Amino acid sequence: MVILIDAVFGFFFALFVYLMFVARDWRQVLALTLAGLLVVALVSPPSAQAQASLVAAIQAVLNVINGSIQTALNAINSVRSTIQQMYESAVWPVSLINQAKAMVSQMIGQYRNLMQGIFSMNLKSATLANPIALENVMRNHQTNDLSAVTTSFGNTFGGVPTATASSPADRTMMDMDDALAMDNLKTLKESDAADDLALQAANNIEDQASQAAPGSAPFITASAVAASIQSQALTQKMLAAELRQEAARLAHQNALRKRGATITGDVNSQILNLLQRH
Amino acid sequence: MKKLLAKVKQGLAVAWRYKVRTGVLLVILFLAAPKPVKSQFLDPCCAIMAAGLNTIGSTLSSVIGGGLGSILSIEQDISKFEQTIVWPQTLINQARSLVVNMQGLFTQMEGVMRIPVNSATLPATQQFEQNLLSGDPNQIAQTSSQYLAVYGNVPDAASASPETRNLVDMTDAAAQAAMKRAIEIDALADLELQAADQINQSVETAAPGSAPIIEAQADAWLVRANAYTQAATADLMRVRAIDLADASANVKNGAANTAAVQQQIYNFLKRQ
Repeated sequence: MVILIDAVFGFFFALFVYLMFVARDWRQVLALTLAGLLVVALVSPPSAQAQASLVAAIQAVLNVINGSIQTALNAINSVRSTIQQMYESAVWPVSLINQAKAMVSQMIGQYRNLMQGIFSMNLKSATLANPIALENVMRNHQTNDLSAVTTSFGNTFGGVPTATASSPADRTMMDMDDALAMDNLKTLKESDAADDLALQAANNIEDQASQAAPGSAPFITASAVAASIQSQALTQKMLAAELRQEAARLAHQNALRKRGATITGDVNSQILNLLQRH
Repeated sequence: MKKLLAKVKQGLAVAWRYKVRTGVLLVILFLAAPKPVKSQFLDPCCAIMAAGLNTIGSTLSSVIGGGLGSILSIEQDISKFEQTIVWPQTLINQARSLVVNMQGLFTQMEGVMRIPVNSATLPATQQFEQNLLSGDPNQIAQTSSQYLAVYGNVPDAASASPETRNLVDMTDAAAQAAMKRAIEIDALADLELQAADQINQSVETAAPGSAPIIEAQADAWLVRANAYTQAATADLMRVRAIDLADASANVKNGAANTAAVQQQIYNFLKRQ
């Protein structure tokens, strides 16, 4: 590389000498001089630094390292230490995490069996065979014996009279009343079974909470909220059933009023006819 | 040798004759000639630079390396704390399996609530019961006609007094509205069950950082579900209010009828 640079330099310098000596007048010499100075200005390397400025530059680098960089690193270190301390003492203190888990376990022990015991107390009160059968099937929390509700209900409250024993309007209304009553008794059996599952879900959530970490708790919470939505939906289904039942009761009373009005109208017209004949 | 000296003298003479040009050439040569390269061993500048670089190196390793080492140590502590206390993978997996288990319970609950409960035996009541239990809002349009087929129409003007007809019509309206609302509530409850399933399934594949977002959505659904429950409760209260009003109207009618009978007896006695 150096040889190449020297050779190029030698070539251009020889050309310059030749041109300088063959120049005819002072104008050409002046032009060549200016051209030479221009080339020198363009290609000349920058002047070398003195030893004193090199020492100063090294010292400046050292000052930067020992000054601003060291200060910055110390600051970062201090901030990270503070964050660590905050995590361990304020945000996720292990002692409080363990205390929370222990509280969950303690509440499981204190309440679960107690509440389960209260909830599973025997409420049955019927004394005769048919009501006992109906009461048993109504309260057994099973969903595979819904047909037994129809049978026991019929045995206890009677069936719809035959077409010869009652008017069509009466039979229709009795059948509708009975149907809605039985629908709700069956819905309640389903709801009881769903309640048992909801209680099981609550127990599972609580068990898991007693072993959770702050990072795993959001899963449990989200699932618990989803279970709450399910529970709300089931409550709504029960409210819908109650709404049907109340509406049917109202409709039943109203149907009796309609019939009463019709009968009164008939009686009135019959009395009127009777009086007119006399 | 003499020849060489003669050539030099001749050259110097030429240079003297063109002394300006020679001077310019010398200046240009001095300025443009390549500079010699400094030696690594003999130049004191390089020794100073080497010592300086050594100092910079040792300073870097003590100040920056030491500082970074401390930061690394703290970061490792934080990482260990987060992995063992805050987000332990085993407990996260355990929570995910709870979610899977919950999904199983949800499916069972929905299955239980879908078992048919129809019980009517006559054609008109079977049709009406089917409509009431359908949970299909599209069937609400048929509810009124099926209701009237079971419970009868409002008596005509010739058969009942205007007061009685008003009472009958209002009571029918309240009963039918409640039955229609029950169909709506069933449909909404089915959609909520479906949404709860979807939410729970998305929790199964969530990360600890994304689970709170799903939880926020679930909370929103819970608020919505509460609102529908309130609406159902409101309709229940309406039905009961109309029931009460109905009972009161019966008493009022009884009082009016009693007064009318008294008046007729009085008139009859007066005629005697």
